[in-house]
Amino acid sequence: MTDESENEEINIQEMTTPELLELMQEDLYDGYADEVVEEVNEALARGMSPYDVLTQGLVAGMEVVGVDFRDGILFVPEVLMAAKAMKAGMEVLRPLLAETGAPTIGKMVIGTVKGDIHDIGKNLVVMMMEGAGFEVFNLGINNSVDDFLGAIAEHQPDILGMSALLTTTMPYMREVINALKAKGIRNDIIVLVGGAPLNEAFAEDIEADAYCRDAAVAVETAKKLIQIKRSKSRA
Amino acid sequence: MVENARDPLVIFMPSGRRGRIPRGQTVLAAARELGVAIESVCGGRLTCNKCRVRVEQGQFAKHGITSRDDHLSPASVEEIALLEALGSPEMRLSCVAQVQGDLLLFVPPESRGQQQVIRKAAGDQTIALDPAVRRVTALVDRAELGEHRGDWGRLRDALAEQWQLDARRIDLHALRQLQPALREGNWRVTATLWHDEVIDVSPGYERASYGLAVDVGSTTVAAYLCDLYTGELLATEAAMNPQVSYGEDLMSRISYAMTERSGLDKMHRAIIDTLNRLAAAAARKAGIPPRQIHEVVFAGNTTMIHILLGLSPVELGAAPFALASRDPLDVKARDLGLHLHPAANAHVLPSQAGHVGADNVGVLLAVEPYRGDEVTLTVDVGTNAEILLGCRDWHFSASSPTGPALEGAQITFGMRAAPGAIERVRINPETLEARFRVIGEPRWSDEWQIGPEVPAEEQPSYLAAGICGSGIVEVVAEMFLAGVISADGRFDTSRQHRRLRRVGGRPAYILATAEQTAMGKPIVITQDDVRNVQLAKAALYAGARLLMNRSGAERIDHVVLAGAFGSYIDPHYALVLGLIPDVAPEQISAVGNAAGDGARIALLNRQKRAEAAEVARWVRYVETAVDPDFQEEFVAALHLPHARDPFPHLEGVLPESAAIGPPRARRRRHPRQKGG
Repeated sequence: MTDESENEEINIQEMTTPELLELMQEDLYDGYADEVVEEVNEALARGMSPYDVLTQGLVAGMEVVGVDFRDGILFVPEVLMAAKAMKAGMEVLRPLLAETGAPTIGKMVIGTVKGDIHDIGKNLVVMMMEGAGFEVFNLGINNSVDDFLGAIAEHQPDILGMSALLTTTMPYMREVINALKAKGIRNDIIVLVGGAPLNEAFAEDIEADAYCRDAAVAVETAKKLIQIKRSKSRA
Repeated sequence: MVENARDPLVIFMPSGRRGRIPRGQTVLAAARELGVAIESVCGGRLTCNKCRVRVEQGQFAKHGITSRDDHLSPASVEEIALLEALGSPEMRLSCVAQVQGDLLLFVPPESRGQQQVIRKAAGDQTIALDPAVRRVTALVDRAELGEHRGDWGRLRDALAEQWQLDARRIDLHALRQLQPALREGNWRVTATLWHDEVIDVSPGYERASYGLAVDVGSTTVAAYLCDLYTGELLATEAAMNPQVSYGEDLMSRISYAMTERSGLDKMHRAIIDTLNRLAAAAARKAGIPPRQIHEVVFAGNTTMIHILLGLSPVELGAAPFALASRDPLDVKARDLGLHLHPAANAHVLPSQAGHVGADNVGVLLAVEPYRGDEVTLTVDVGTNAEILLGCRDWHFSASSPTGPALEGAQITFGMRAAPGAIERVRINPETLEARFRVIGEPRWSDEWQIGPEVPAEEQPSYLAAGICGSGIVEVVAEMFLAGVISADGRFDTSRQHRRLRRVGGRPAYILATAEQTAMGKPIVITQDDVRNVQLAKAALYAGARLLMNRSGAERIDHVVLAGAFGSYIDPHYALVLGLIPDVAPEQISAVGNAAGDGARIALLNRQKRAEAAEVARWVRYVETAVDPDFQEEFVAALHLPHARDPFPHLEGVLPESAAIGPPRARRRRHPRQKGG
């Protein structure tokens, strides 16, 4: 990759806006955070709305990352690099999005359940969800029923995500779901579960809404279920 | 004792131990003082004839002494008669002969006590034989009217007087034997002591004593039957851990104990049954009755030890992973349902932390990385890798979730190391053609003659059936060296080659062609296989790296690989893959089942048990999963061999693409590779 033609300086001001967005997506894919920030600023300078920069630039770029991750072309380090670039771009956009009152894609509270101290896989989900434009509240590891309920009361999320890496800790998810039922809020929230020892049958058994095999699937599932839920509530 | 230069100098051969001994002391007492073990049964009553020694005559310039017969007190009539009756008039009995002058004494093999015997164990260390079980014969005072010490009191006095042994307790089993044994043996009995407890009493003279060392692994249970009198390993027996049917890995077994009411009980009984069968099989092989097994020592991971002891492993299933006990434990084997000697002791080695157990302490005892000045990385690779890093001044330990990929699970064509498993792989970087070797067939696959026209005796003994741990390490490393995959683990899909195919839409490398396999279809390595190996090796590397960071060690001097996997892995490929940090390949060694060796060491030497307890407490355990740097280290270690750490010992070996390049040029257009 030391080819001369690939190292040429590019002047982004001379590009058309579609070219600029394409470059933003490519740089995001390659994890070039500084470049992504420059391109976000350039797009804003051209008068694009923060929401359009988010959806047509960053989220569109992360979608490709998600697909290639799902297909085994990209792996954890590359996805983390892309997510970092995404985060850098988001930092520019977030205050502007709040100001303009742009619609949010969705809110999520996520954590590893009590007794479990693993969180790399869950952190990947957090980054991919953020990459897809979700607002994510990451509770970290070892969360009790009360930790989850408290965060739900505070942030009013659309989605609750729970992760477990151990066969012995995954049953705790059932307790959290039972607590949601007891509080009468189970139907207000989409529950997604994931982690190495889980499978679809387990998710069904504990009455979660879906099991997500990996971070890419989590994003797809979250989007799909939110859409279904919103269309239902509109109907 | 303060040595007096005017006292005679006494030298024992062949041990060479020497010291000045006051005139008038018996040779036996001198030997004990100098740490020379001379067998003695009767304790100086001129009845057992076990303690014979020979005076070497003459001037010994090397030792600076003159040794003569008359430097011992003259033999009594009884001693001479006894020695003549035994056909060894040139000998003396050390229990009665007293030192009168300088002496060079030869202790013949039949007179040597247990402790001189030395056995080799892993890591070439020598184990001095000093078991917790000891059998001594004593002449006990007869019971008489008007004297009320009781037979146990009389035995205790005899042991103190004749053996300087302070017997404090007697097991009920031994107490039941005591009175008939004393009368049958005409008041001469052999007492079997475990530390200061009498566990057996039998009439007359007896020495045979055996012990069992066991490593209870999640998959395999290995038992080593040892002669506690000679230290010799008499028989080794292994069996599958029967708990496998209740759960493949530790967590599923804990889960079974959580969810199934009688789960713990079932698993406990299953392992005890297996242990009884192993003990019986080993005893049969050695030609001894299992009832003469006086002690058993256990190593094993914390979950296995909990279940073995009938302790619920539930607390080990979730943070904070609380152990019932971290300390070493001594219980009666009979309380566990083991059919050994009725009063046999079961010693359980200590643990370090929730998931660093007695097996790792066994590895420590066998490898002794805590003795050297140089930094040693000791790794026991299994579903969990236990990692030790340190030297004599400090030691850290960690447990890293490598998962089962390195053992062949989670790999499309993975299998256990068995005949037909691919264990060695070479890929020609020019042609991308592979050749391999399978277990059970010495020829490499490119020398195989296959096909219907080839006579049966020239066909390979086994066709390829799958790929085992060492083969998995080699194939991924070779694919990397040949450029089939890049340093980030991704297949180079720009290459066209008949070995490169798509399986289910994803790239894969054909390692064995259909005609080379037992199944008649090719063995492929898929993108997902490579990813699973990356995850496993990154967990191991990151664990080691975190311990380096924690200790401030900048390099590793030695790497010791324990466990079956470590014995077959080629150090070169371990480095190419980045399984472990950079080290000189010749400094990587394998020690096999070191946990089992550690149990054997503890069985043969009770001082080593104290050492194990001390070391287990001294090693500092690091919970890597919650270390703030774990994620970063893990991600960097996914790269082959590593995204950041240099591998100077691989200079000239790695492909150029793996070299860590200069910081990326700003604003570089980088055409995205669509869909690979």
